[in-house]
Amino acid sequence: MQGRPFRKSEEIVRPASFEYHRAASLEHALDLLHEFGEDGRPIAGGQSLVPMMNFRLARPEHLVDIGRLPLASIERTGNGLRIGALARHIAYFDNPLIARHFPAFLEAVHYIGHPTIRRNGTLGGSISHADPTAELPAVSVLYDGEIVARSKADERRIKARDFFLGAYVTALEPGEMMVALELPLPAPASTGSFVELAERRGDFATASVGVALDHDNGRITRFAMVCSGADLFPVRAGEIEQLMIGRPLADPGAAEAGKRFAASIDPIEDHIASADFRRAAIAELTRRAIEAACTKALK
Amino acid sequence: MSMTDIALEVNGRKKTIAVEPRRLLADVLRQEFGLSGVHIGCAHGVCGCCTVHLDGAPRLSCLTFAVQCDGASVTTVEALGGPTAQHPLQQAFRSEHGLQCGYCTPGFLMALLPFVDEMVARRHRPDDAEIREAMSGNICRCTGYHGIVAAVRKAIDASLAKGA
Repeated sequence: MQGRPFRKSEEIVRPASFEYHRAASLEHALDLLHEFGEDGRPIAGGQSLVPMMNFRLARPEHLVDIGRLPLASIERTGNGLRIGALARHIAYFDNPLIARHFPAFLEAVHYIGHPTIRRNGTLGGSISHADPTAELPAVSVLYDGEIVARSKADERRIKARDFFLGAYVTALEPGEMMVALELPLPAPASTGSFVELAERRGDFATASVGVALDHDNGRITRFAMVCSGADLFPVRAGEIEQLMIGRPLADPGAAEAGKRFAASIDPIEDHIASADFRRAAIAELTRRAIEAACTKALK
Repeated sequence: MSMTDIALEVNGRKKTIAVEPRRLLADVLRQEFGLSGVHIGCAHGVCGCCTVHLDGAPRLSCLTFAVQCDGASVTTVEALGGPTAQHPLQQAFRSEHGLQCGYCTPGFLMALLPFVDEMVARRHRPDDAEIREAMSGNICRCTGYHGIVAAVRKAIDASLAKGA
């Protein structure tokens, strides 16, 4: 069934040339990344990095393949959840800890790509890639997550809020690699919701809003909200978060909160949407996310 | 230009080849293995045409460097139902007009095959929304997708009827 080699004479190449290194262990990977500095990049699923390389928007000189390292576990730590950087997206969907404690996370990941992308793409890849409207950066900010980063010499924890610095720009230093995301467990009476607008299902979002809230006696006692599309990285809705505390779940004033938040932002303008369109969409997404979370809390 | 030796098992045949690290699995399958059923639509992971199975699971071969696959087993559409496309899913694509130009078809088949197998194993008849979700990573510019949904439904129904 195998025919003649196809166009043997002209070898098609797409990315710029690089050297490939397969890491045998995490320590080996960190040694290599330390050695290569700014010229080295880790690769695992490649679902974000390889498109950039095929377009030659990224031209790493050295790729360190970490895809087979044992960093994919999702486990309970003392008071939180730790997700290894190499967890494939498909693993979130049937994880009971995520379903129970982080409903907005579970809703958000349904918007990630398509089945084949989810099977191969990794948590660490998506967060380190830092697309402005990707879902995992947004939920890591929503749930006050911390990115655990390792380098040859050190391990440090970076608050998700301080991790995303711009479009595709993070706080990771050359030689450093994300190894896990840790999320503190929310209070027992908590719930959440995540809604997203995209041109086509599975595409990167035009905008999205996630909400996580605690409640007691029919009222909101803690409120967190994240928005992507408002800036070049996911932002928290500080003023709205204060405003919502004490409001009744049955009548949270979601539409007014959405308008108020939309008026406070200066969204990005690009080939997909004008700033005005994004502002209007974010007002509506905010309303829907708040109402969905409050409805769940009342059940 | 540095070359790396890799061992691949492609459609059951083992072969060791020297490749430049930057070469995509899709290009290597087409050029070194002569497997022109691996179609490359967009080369950046949005069209699904180049879907193959890597160690048994769908993978976009345009987002995979061949060097990453050292020691792995790869299956392409050529191994599915032979030159006359005898696999039940291929037969259903034919009878339900699941293709016109056929460029996207290998990708659809390879992406949908595990879904069809899973539905049959679970003895579950999926609704249209489930089928559309399973094929959401593949683009077809001819059929409007209705024929493909019908083909998937038919392939599952046929297997379930045979097993009953």
